[in-house]
Amino acid sequence: MNRLQMHGLAGAVALTALLSPMLANAQEINFTDQEGREVHLAQPAERIVTIPMPMASTVIALDGGTQSLVGLNPVSKTAIMEGILGKIFPEARDVTDKVTAANFVPNVEELAAVNPDLVIQWGGRGGDLVDPITNAGMTAMLILYGTEERTREYMSMTATALGKPERIDALVAWRDRVQHDIEAKAAGIADADRPSVLYLGRALSDLTASGSGNSYNNWYINLVGGQNAAAELEGTKPVNKEQIAEWNPDVILLNAFEPDLGVEWVYKDPILSLTNAAKNHKVYKMPLGGYRWDPPNQESPLTWMWLANLVQPDVFDYDLRAEMKSAYETIYGYQLSEADIDGVLWMDMQGDAAGYDRFKAQ
Amino acid sequence: MISLEKASVRFGPRTVLDQLSVKVEVGQSLAILGPNGRGKTTALRAMLGFQPLSGGTRTAPEIVGYVPQAAGINQRYSVLDVVVMGRAARLGLFGQPQAADFDAAREVLAEVGLLHFAEAMFDRLSGGERQLVLLARALATGSNVLVLDEPAAALDLKNQERLLSLLGKIRAKGDKAIIFTTHDPNHAFAAADDALLMLPGAAVLSGPVHETITAKHLEALYGVSMRLVDMPGPNGDMHRAVLPAFAGKVAA
Amino acid sequence: MTSIDNQLAGTPRQLGIVSRHAAIYIGAMLLLLAMIFAGMCLGRYSVDVPRAMQIIWLSILDPARPLDAIDERIIILVRVPRVLLAAFAGAALAASGAALQGVFRNPLVSPQVLGISQGAAFGGAIAILLGVWGLPLLAIVFFCGLAALALVGFLARIDGRTEIVTVILSGMIVGAMFSALVSLIQFLADPNGPLPAIVYWLMGSFASTTWERAAIAVPGLVIGMVFLWAMRFRLNILSLDEAEARSLGAKPELERWLIFALVALIVGSQVAVSGIVGWIGLVIPHATRLLVGHDHRRLLPVSMLLGAAYLVAVDTIARTATSAEIPLGVLTALVGAPVFAMLLRHHYRERNAA
Repeated sequence: MNRLQMHGLAGAVALTALLSPMLANAQEINFTDQEGREVHLAQPAERIVTIPMPMASTVIALDGGTQSLVGLNPVSKTAIMEGILGKIFPEARDVTDKVTAANFVPNVEELAAVNPDLVIQWGGRGGDLVDPITNAGMTAMLILYGTEERTREYMSMTATALGKPERIDALVAWRDRVQHDIEAKAAGIADADRPSVLYLGRALSDLTASGSGNSYNNWYINLVGGQNAAAELEGTKPVNKEQIAEWNPDVILLNAFEPDLGVEWVYKDPILSLTNAAKNHKVYKMPLGGYRWDPPNQESPLTWMWLANLVQPDVFDYDLRAEMKSAYETIYGYQLSEADIDGVLWMDMQGDAAGYDRFKAQ
Repeated sequence: MISLEKASVRFGPRTVLDQLSVKVEVGQSLAILGPNGRGKTTALRAMLGFQPLSGGTRTAPEIVGYVPQAAGINQRYSVLDVVVMGRAARLGLFGQPQAADFDAAREVLAEVGLLHFAEAMFDRLSGGERQLVLLARALATGSNVLVLDEPAAALDLKNQERLLSLLGKIRAKGDKAIIFTTHDPNHAFAAADDALLMLPGAAVLSGPVHETITAKHLEALYGVSMRLVDMPGPNGDMHRAVLPAFAGKVAA
Repeated sequence: MTSIDNQLAGTPRQLGIVSRHAAIYIGAMLLLLAMIFAGMCLGRYSVDVPRAMQIIWLSILDPARPLDAIDERIIILVRVPRVLLAAFAGAALAASGAALQGVFRNPLVSPQVLGISQGAAFGGAIAILLGVWGLPLLAIVFFCGLAALALVGFLARIDGRTEIVTVILSGMIVGAMFSALVSLIQFLADPNGPLPAIVYWLMGSFASTTWERAAIAVPGLVIGMVFLWAMRFRLNILSLDEAEARSLGAKPELERWLIFALVALIVGSQVAVSGIVGWIGLVIPHATRLLVGHDHRRLLPVSMLLGAAYLVAVDTIARTATSAEIPLGVLTALVGAPVFAMLLRHHYRERNAA
């Protein structure tokens, strides 16, 4: 080798040496989770376990498939089996749900068996949920429930953990756009024109309503120009039918968690059938799309638009079907059929509810 | 009539009663004497029917009037309510005491001289009065057998006298078979026709009171020197009494 | 001493006692009626009293009449069955507490001590898990309650006789075991379906009462109460010591188990429709004893009246005080525990003063 070649080689080596930390760092992922903990991943997560219920669908959506999901919550599993996500991503049906109990307490043995490199778990609910994971040497990412800001934040963190930070940008932009659009249109609604909306978190096993406080349902009810009929409650509390009669809500929203719960449950009840909501046929079961529309998830803007059309039909007129088709294309890369949309919106059960013909296929 | 025929009671390897035969007819009165732990209580329980026998037979009426040493209850019942419990057997599982039952209870209370206590609270009475109430309860059952567990054992002299003279009155009527256990041979003299001495070991002595309660037998029974003393009673008649030799004081 | 005072006892004192007892009975009945009245008129949905009375009166006149207005439906379909069920349950639970305390000669005994409540709760949890309802649910609950009792009997049997202290200890063991089994079922239950129902119902609640549910529970409660009441004199005998009871003609073993079966029937019926409601069987008979003494001929009926009034009052508070429904078992414990503490102190003060 001549001297020029040696200098060139040395220079190349030096340059590589200089650049290699950056190249190596390009693989590493570091961020702070919502409990202020440092999360460190040597490389993008390839084996994720999601314990909070909506997060399985979020991971699948951001990752474009189930390849990085190795464990999920049993209740996430039921949503997959009952809803459209199991149709879009059939392999999701095979992901194990033994890694955690439904109450978010992890099963460490099962967790270890799937060897995750990241476990997404609820923060702010005590060490029993977190310590078993960290004590076993696994990496945990803690998220907090309740507000739209937190939702965007932890969805972004998830995208970062997957090594696909660009995936979240479009979704956050979309949420922002829809939220501002709704807020702008709802700004002019007087309090007297806000119908009272009651969300029943549980109806069949026992009866609970979501009050004000740290409740996402409460937030979007207010967002779309309604008011929470159960506002005097702090959080989710058991209520009796007499109390519901006293509130006399204008709109009743039934949860999507109880598969046996249908709108006729309200219409057949001697007390509830006499509420304004029942008399005016404004009883709606929350749709079940890629995940249940009740809690925050990647499809939330669809929830807001759906509810806005129903609660303030004179103010809002979103073309929900078109929005859904466009959203599912972006989020899941899936073309929704008309039958799919009808299924998500429970068209055969509540197709004749007030304001629902807007959602029908033309 | 109440009897045990060759009754044996065994607790594991220990034999407490060995082929004991006892019979008391209506109109008779039997006192059972013996040192502590010898089996007086077991014999009594066997006669009452509470103690299953390892051998032998028991003959007794359906209901036996039982006067325990102390009341098992210490609760706020009225005396009349305690006595009327004696009518339970004829009322059955779901019966309620009627006026006739309360009348019968009052009658029996009058017999023992406590009618004026009918509405008093049982747990406020003195020990002696309670014993009499329990006796009334046993009488209220209407049984012609009366079994008393160490009556007068915890009573002061006045109440002992009261109880014993009551027993005497009942005995005089001649319509009951009476059995009682006692530590005091004088009670046997006062209230019994026959005596059963449960000697240490397995031996028993039985027979009329004046034959069985002798100084020699009592010494064998208690292991203490005894003296029989004849003394004039309050009415002038002569009473026979038994005293342990260490009774009284050494004369100077 | 008092015996000397009592020598002055005679007719005047008799009359005094009689009218005092009559006053207590009447007072208890009036209290119950007042609580029932209040229960029917009070609730989160306001219905004014004349209207409430009118609705009830019209339905008494014509039980089959159609109920179209919401206040009619709330009164007749929600409040009336709930108040009635609470009254029957309160009476029956108080009676079973009084009976158990008599049989055990121990005032600290209640259906929970014997493990019956826990056994019944286990039966109910299984039934909910399997999605069984109605009479089959009641049957499962009753049999599990009775099974708990049978287990206690089996554990406590020594030499063919059952000693009372051993029964109490066995009851605690069996109760703990069934509680653990219920926890296991909670663990296995789907959180979207049965689990919240099991959890809430274990805290005790009359919130889901309908005429249908009341019809399922009331027969068992009434049968249990009627037979316990019929045995009120017998309970006096059974509360004596074993030898005395036998000598008076009772068969304590057999009769005790009859009482236990009746208590299992009552507790099973009540647990099947409203979960575990505690403290009634403990506190009410105690309070009643302070008023009328130990004689079960009075203790049982007055306990039933007071128990009914108490449970109706507490349940009315549970569903009216706040917009959220307070679990009944929580309220009875919150009220019952301090009241019981007061009763205990009073009891010991009285005992030591005697």
